[in-house]
Amino acid sequence: MTKGSQLTLVLVLLGLFALFYQGLWGDPRHIPTVLIGTDAPMVEGPDVETGDLISLNQFKGKVILLNFWASWCYECKVEHESVLQLHKLFKDDPNFVMLGVNYQDKLPDAQQYLKEYGTTFAHMRDLHGQLAIDYGVYGVPETFVIDQQGKIRYKYVGPVTGHMYTKITQEIIAPLLKGKPISTPS
Amino acid sequence: MFMPIRLALALTFILTTPWAVLAEVQDESALDIQVREIAKTLRCTVCQTENIWESGAPLAQQMRGVVRDRLKMGHSPEDIKEYFLSRYGDYIMMQPPAHGVNWLLWAGPFILLLGGGLLLYKEVIGWVRRTPTPSTTPPTPLDEQARQRLERELES
Repeated sequence: MTKGSQLTLVLVLLGLFALFYQGLWGDPRHIPTVLIGTDAPMVEGPDVETGDLISLNQFKGKVILLNFWASWCYECKVEHESVLQLHKLFKDDPNFVMLGVNYQDKLPDAQQYLKEYGTTFAHMRDLHGQLAIDYGVYGVPETFVIDQQGKIRYKYVGPVTGHMYTKITQEIIAPLLKGKPISTPS
Repeated sequence: MFMPIRLALALTFILTTPWAVLAEVQDESALDIQVREIAKTLRCTVCQTENIWESGAPLAQQMRGVVRDRLKMGHSPEDIKEYFLSRYGDYIMMQPPAHGVNWLLWAGPFILLLGGGLLLYKEVIGWVRRTPTPSTTPPTPLDEQARQRLERELES
């Protein structure tokens, strides 16, 4: 075995070792989703505040922003103001709709949360976690953007604040509402 | 005299036993086994190296519920695994499918073992070659002075 091939072998082994080691500590929430470009599941659930059935089917043909949240989730509170701001920015566009999905929560807690922090859009309850699993959710908050053709175009795990707010509003929702392609799929 | 009573008791037992419920319980346990087998192959996505059968996380519990519901609806275990794969990707499988870059996960440990073993072998061989071998020539006999000194030391 020559010195060169020995060095190559050492490098390959070190590379593999580093890859596996990194995998041990990686956060699965940051694994790229397989859902981009697929049909958005047409989920439905009762409205947190009124109990009326909300179905995604009602909003076909619109750009939909789905925001998964829970009253016990700290990061959801962190992003709440930004989420309300985002709705304010696009609510007058007839082709935009925003829905909250209340995840793994108790109804009184969810209602109290909305009363306390305020809301300007509807929220459906995920009664048995089926909605979250349909959307491959790991935890909350998670945000999905669905285009007018009903395809999932963007997913973000974490609070929609700061540069993520700018990215989602300017680089994702605004172009989709204009029927333009988006440059950053996920 | 006791025979009619025994007969009546036996008939009462046969007629009143909820056989349908018992059959359902039997079905239920068969379903449980199927749920367990499938759940053991699916990773709890919010846990560390735990499958959804062993995990107590709410998401794992809900995923077990989805497995059960789909089995009840007549979906095959392959359909159910395919559904979870379509939602979470390969990460959801405790044993990632052997395709694409996943091959590294399957072959990586063997590559590390073989490559590491080869390097170790080369190193040991080199080390053995560099180590001087002990001389096979007989040692020179002690001179008279040294022999006497040795004897004195042995006697003391």
